[in-house]
Amino acid sequence: MPVRLSDRIGYYGAWFSGLFLTAVVFGIVAWLLVNGLRNVDWAFLTTNPAPGSVEIGVAGGIVAPLIGTLIITGMGTAIALPLGLMTAVFLGEHGKPKWLKQGTDTAIDLIFGVPSIVFALFGLAIFSSPSMVFLSSEVQTSGMATAKSFFCAALMMALIALPPIVRSTQAAISQVPNVQREAAYALGKTRFATVRKVVFPSIRPGIATGTILGMGRIAGDTAIVWILLGGAVLEPPQPGWYEPQNILDFLHGTGSTLTTYVYFASPAGEGNAEGKAYGAALVLFALVFIVNIVLGRLGQRKIGRQ
Amino acid sequence: MEANDNTPPVDAAYEKAQAQEWRHVLDATSDRRAAGINSDPTEVAAVSEPVLAGVGAGTVGGPSADLDAPPRRRQHIADPNDLALAIRGLRVAYGSAEILHGVDLDAPRGGVLALVGPSGCGKTTLLRSLNRLTELAPTAKIDGEVLLDGENTYGPKVDLNLLRRRVGMVFQQPNPFPMSIFDNVAFAIREQAQRRPTRGSLMPQVEHALERAGLWHEVKDDLNRSALSMSGGQQQRLCIARTLAADPEVLLMDEPCSALDPRSTARIEELIVQLAGSLTVVIVTHNLAQARRIADYAAFLLNGDLIEQGPAEQVFENPLEQSTRDFVAGIFG
Repeated sequence: MPVRLSDRIGYYGAWFSGLFLTAVVFGIVAWLLVNGLRNVDWAFLTTNPAPGSVEIGVAGGIVAPLIGTLIITGMGTAIALPLGLMTAVFLGEHGKPKWLKQGTDTAIDLIFGVPSIVFALFGLAIFSSPSMVFLSSEVQTSGMATAKSFFCAALMMALIALPPIVRSTQAAISQVPNVQREAAYALGKTRFATVRKVVFPSIRPGIATGTILGMGRIAGDTAIVWILLGGAVLEPPQPGWYEPQNILDFLHGTGSTLTTYVYFASPAGEGNAEGKAYGAALVLFALVFIVNIVLGRLGQRKIGRQ
Repeated sequence: MEANDNTPPVDAAYEKAQAQEWRHVLDATSDRRAAGINSDPTEVAAVSEPVLAGVGAGTVGGPSADLDAPPRRRQHIADPNDLALAIRGLRVAYGSAEILHGVDLDAPRGGVLALVGPSGCGKTTLLRSLNRLTELAPTAKIDGEVLLDGENTYGPKVDLNLLRRRVGMVFQQPNPFPMSIFDNVAFAIREQAQRRPTRGSLMPQVEHALERAGLWHEVKDDLNRSALSMSGGQQQRLCIARTLAADPEVLLMDEPCSALDPRSTARIEELIVQLAGSLTVVIVTHNLAQARRIADYAAFLLNGDLIEQGPAEQVFENPLEQSTRDFVAGIFG
């Protein structure tokens, strides 16, 4: 059968794009590994940063930013996930009144498109008002709130994690055949029970995908950390911060994450310790990668044997 | 059929099940041809019985083989005046298009009532109005009464979820939930209970429902298997079991066999005949031969109007109206 030229160009074009993308990504990963692995060891992972110096023995490691990333991702996801699922159910199952559905749709798209530093700035304005002091701590001189704490940052992080959660859950909901909903209604189920028992089990992969993307957005964000968490790379948490009587104080205070550490340690930041920037970047990459695999597996788990 | 949403996944288990069903059909046919009797009492007899009933010698196969079968006697109905469902002046419109123009119809208790008529005549809309699924469509407007045991189901104080358990429904496409066989059947019972019931306490009801649907012996060893791995015919019987688990008084069936092969169709028909008596069946069917085989009562609809209703043999053999006569003679439809 004769093959058309356009067909051939299309085929090789697609083939080449796939190859190109794969090459670029693997190149970046290889670059990270080569430059990062040299700097990652147990001491690097377990000591606090002091990135002003070049030697790890003196300069310490990334334990505080690592913990900061884990905490902020966990808190942000914990807020965004239930909110996102409910929003997706509203958009995908109810969608009434129509103006509210359209409004929500637009809002989700806006959050997706607007850079996080805009939300950070907005958060700063909101959370620094004296009535919001319970989220951070008080500035003694002015009576305003500092607006820099894990709580403040997590709230805004939840906002930027919402769109991927909502959109991929909503897409999964639209794939659930209507005959299954009708079957549940015909068995005397309420709308809520139908969503919970029939729709949710089928959309778990979609929820997992959305959660992965949302977590990736949080773990990768820098702007919100700088403005609402302080990016306090050089101020490690007090010893014993994790003890029950201290944890609330800790969450009301400033902190840092891997992204802020990478910036700080890079030649662009004050730290100027490039090797450690690569090390931290590699750890961040590995973290997101592991979350990807674990949540992907959880989402795929079958109900009943096939 | 526009969507593939509901077709079972083509995997090894499914294909095996399909192959088995067909093997049974072939076996059954050849067995009967060779011996003139049914050799496998659990499988073959069950399949052939309803089809053979009243037919004398054994031509078993598709529904078409039974066009000559005499109509069934009204064996299920104790008292034709004892109505399980009475539909009074039912009007249904979607937006500005009126689908049903005031239908009056009786469903005697314990009988099989077949709704027949050409495509688009409103059969399915009528059926779905009986458990109030019609109103799921946002533009639907419904007028009139549907009396279930003399009580208007469109009344102000009706518990919709309770109504839908009393009036169960089986759909055209088998639509099991993507869960295990057990969970599918237990689905309706689970939330009727006040507390979360254990699997053990649900088992008797699940077994009973699967028994009534004629599926228990095929699935009892592997209730944890995904329902989606079953064949189409098994899935439809599972859907019937799932509905029966709620112990309904009325069973609505919307062309339950149209997606099934002849053998599975025969099994479902047999099941309907068995179930009638203990509950009332209202079935929509395109297949006149099927309606003749299983119906005690029949109603003929045309363009949203009820043209004729009565005992099945009368509607099919001796219709009063010319349009009914033309329809059952196959002149249109």
